[in-house]
Amino acid sequence: MKSKLLLFCTLIVTVLVFCASMQAHHGNAAYDEQHPITINGNVTEFVWSNPHCQIYLDVKGEKGSVVSWSVESQSPGILRRNSWTRDSIKPGDHIAVTLVPAKSGAPVGFSGEKSGKIVFDDGHVLKMDLR
Amino acid sequence: MPTRSASLIFGSAVVLASVFATSARSAPQDKNTKEAQAPAPKREITGVWLYQGSGGQESTAPEKDMPPMTPWAQARFAAEKPGYGSRAVPDGNDPILQCDPGGFPRIMFFPTPFEFVQTPARIMQFFEREHAWRPIWIDGRALPKDPDPTWYGYAVGHWEGDYTLVVESIGFNDKTWLGASGYPHSEDMRVTERYQRVDRNTIAYNIRVDDPKAYAKPIIGPERFMKLRPGVEIGELPCVWSEENSFTKRIREPAVGKPNR
Repeated sequence: MKSKLLLFCTLIVTVLVFCASMQAHHGNAAYDEQHPITINGNVTEFVWSNPHCQIYLDVKGEKGSVVSWSVESQSPGILRRNSWTRDSIKPGDHIAVTLVPAKSGAPVGFSGEKSGKIVFDDGHVLKMDLR
Repeated sequence: MPTRSASLIFGSAVVLASVFATSARSAPQDKNTKEAQAPAPKREITGVWLYQGSGGQESTAPEKDMPPMTPWAQARFAAEKPGYGSRAVPDGNDPILQCDPGGFPRIMFFPTPFEFVQTPARIMQFFEREHAWRPIWIDGRALPKDPDPTWYGYAVGHWEGDYTLVVESIGFNDKTWLGASGYPHSEDMRVTERYQRVDRNTIAYNIRVDDPKAYAKPIIGPERFMKLRPGVEIGELPCVWSEENSFTKRIREPAVGKPNR
């Protein structure tokens, strides 16, 4: 009887865990959503447009090389509800962007998940978790 | 012994079913604030509402719950290259990538808010996404006999009891997908929605799609929840072709391995 109880409990836990994972995000096929990264660089352009805002920044690589990254973000409506404005990011700002990178290996990423964020040198943070 | 095993299995199923029934209904509800505890107004649904979904990659029903397709729908489905789901490819042909309207009912499954504005004759549903709107006539009129096919259809609604708005819609074109996974529908699609206000701040949303030209059985969506968002103003989220085109060249194509033009 003990083993049946154990089996029953295992069954419940398994199903609950399975259901929790089902609620996790399913990916945009272009991006590697399992492996978010954070890049640091100087903003060259911030595009406040529908349906996707975009951040462009130059990231210094090893040996002084510079790689220009292109970052997709959320729509202005969603970002505005997270206290962003069209002036939140300016060319010249030094920021850290948490994003999921393109599977193609190109310096392109998506920073629009609820886990996405922008951190400025002075410590202030722009988030995007509120919809 | 077989009887005991059977009863154990049956008992387990009952417990599991009740666990899910309880979590599905109670989890999204907000009973903690005074406002939420106040009774919902009767036969009234005005407000800004937000679907508590994941991220725009949903379909009317999960793939596992989709009924068998007719040959007509299978041919359409085979030609679709979705960006999400089990057949996802990076460089797909989702109509919204060229700024076609996502249309109805797909627009319901994005995590961007919509606003209901109720008047005596109709309830207007304004969507932030696509900057689109949809009238739901509640003046007792019947659905039209032969409506022109449109992106958002023609909708009539009525109250069932004091808290459930039932909406019937027909008159759709067949250019839209049922969601991000690429499932097609025909112009014969008929959609039945139930917006049940389970408390002041929560709608339980159920959707059923009848489309015998495309599917052998009705599509039954899972119960979904929408939350009232007091103080939120819906913004505009149109797909702007010039901006989308620039975005495609600068980000989408490099992301899928095409050279930056």
